[in-house]
Amino acid sequence: MSTFPHAVNDSATMLRRNLRHLRRYPAMVMMSLGVPIVMLLLFVGVFGSAMGAGVTGAVHDGDYIDYLVPGIVLMTAGYGSQSTALAVNRDMTEGIIARFRTMPVFRASVLVGHVGAAVIRTVASAVLVVLVALLLGFRPAADPVGWLAAAGLLVLLVLALTWLAVAIGLAARNAEGTSGFVLVVQVLPFLSSAFVPPDSMSGPVRWFAANEPFTPVIDTLRGLLAGTPVGGSAAVAVAWCVGLAVVGYLWARALFRRDPVR
Amino acid sequence: MSTHAVADSATMLRRQLRHMKRYPSLTFMLAGMPVVFLLLFAFVLGGALGAGIGGPTGGRAEYIDYLVPGVLLMTVASAAQGTAISVAMDMTEGIVNRFRTMAISRASVLTGHVLGSLVQTMISMAIVLAVALLIGFRPDATPVEWLAVIGVLALLTFALVWLSVALGLVSESVETASNLPMPLVLLPFLGSGFVPTDSMPAGLRWFAEYQPFTPVIETLRGLLLGTPIGGSGYLAVGWCVVIALGGYLWAKKLYARTR
Repeated sequence: MSTFPHAVNDSATMLRRNLRHLRRYPAMVMMSLGVPIVMLLLFVGVFGSAMGAGVTGAVHDGDYIDYLVPGIVLMTAGYGSQSTALAVNRDMTEGIIARFRTMPVFRASVLVGHVGAAVIRTVASAVLVVLVALLLGFRPAADPVGWLAAAGLLVLLVLALTWLAVAIGLAARNAEGTSGFVLVVQVLPFLSSAFVPPDSMSGPVRWFAANEPFTPVIDTLRGLLAGTPVGGSAAVAVAWCVGLAVVGYLWARALFRRDPVR
Repeated sequence: MSTHAVADSATMLRRQLRHMKRYPSLTFMLAGMPVVFLLLFAFVLGGALGAGIGGPTGGRAEYIDYLVPGVLLMTVASAAQGTAISVAMDMTEGIVNRFRTMAISRASVLTGHVLGSLVQTMISMAIVLAVALLIGFRPDATPVEWLAVIGVLALLTFALVWLSVALGLVSESVETASNLPMPLVLLPFLGSGFVPTDSMPAGLRWFAEYQPFTPVIETLRGLLLGTPIGGSGYLAVGWCVVIALGGYLWAKKLYARTR
């Protein structure tokens, strides 16, 4: 019953189900795309000149938009995971999972379907955000290898955040219960090197920004896209992503295995 | 009849104030978002923006002084959003229909909302101002200038509350009512609230210079920091009166129609 081809087949079916949801309810995609694009327009159009003048040392005479885009891409990943938490929670609370459990379906395929769809959706959103950034004047200096590495890191981050989101969606009793995760995902990019270098921040905030998980990811993406050396931040970024992905996966698996008490 | 209207409005105001007392979290929620933005722009982005917009010292402390008037306006705008939601709730939950069957002044329901929101917004602004003072905001205003600041903020609140009452009445649902006033929350960003308008690109600069919030922000900044206001004081009052009148007439028209 739980042979590998069977598991792959069921996961593909669940992935199709989630992709169909995306097609039927594009509003969700628009929301997770909308906020990062608004932020991009706001920070480039409204604050760009003042910010650029304030962070010149960090930008190395480049445009502020070149400094900003990696953070906005990360924000896109964050907002994408928010939709996943809500979608998983809706499945849990509306009883569809209970129905799937009565069928001869590979149990984990429901979660794999959610994760697969989230990765596809978020990477597509990130591509659109980068296209908007290019229209606004973003000029990356990355070579093909740099682009591939940046894409790989982004997928790794999306996987990590998505598994965490799946776990949160399973743990929450209702949609409101996911709001804590949503808040963290919304606030963390601001308290990182996404918009300004941590050394321009005040004491405790600077310490937090320098040591939180999003900062090494952003710095690595920035280095890869700008074609500059990334130093030790790449290893730290990958470690954070793998760590978060493993924690999210194990937590989600444990929650999904327990009997539904809803 | 007019004393009857005043008494009914006072009753409706009491109803709104009782709501405030029962759900104090709402007032803190209204102050919450502006406080978060204040802390974010002061401690996270303040160093870079302070250096970017120049000024004598060009640091975080100076930027906090620059920032506060814009955040106060944001408080008014988010309070307007709260008003639209509470009006829409009253309209959709049928309580207004019940009031209409009673021998009470029709307009008193709206007047109660407006005055209640005015009180709530002033409390929220006091919270925001207290946080600003705690994190290093140092105004140079004289007592007369403080009175003028309170007057301008009250006038703006009055104007935006009437507008949001109309937005609440025009909304078919509470969700719509929460989304319609969203542009008001964005306006301080697209004005001189966070950065000077001359640092913006051409088209945006033009919009930022001529939109209603910019003269209000400049007036508040001038009054609080003792800098010259120029003609922005008259413009600010003019905009507030126009918005208040427009909002009031629109709300009156919407409320008069039967649901």
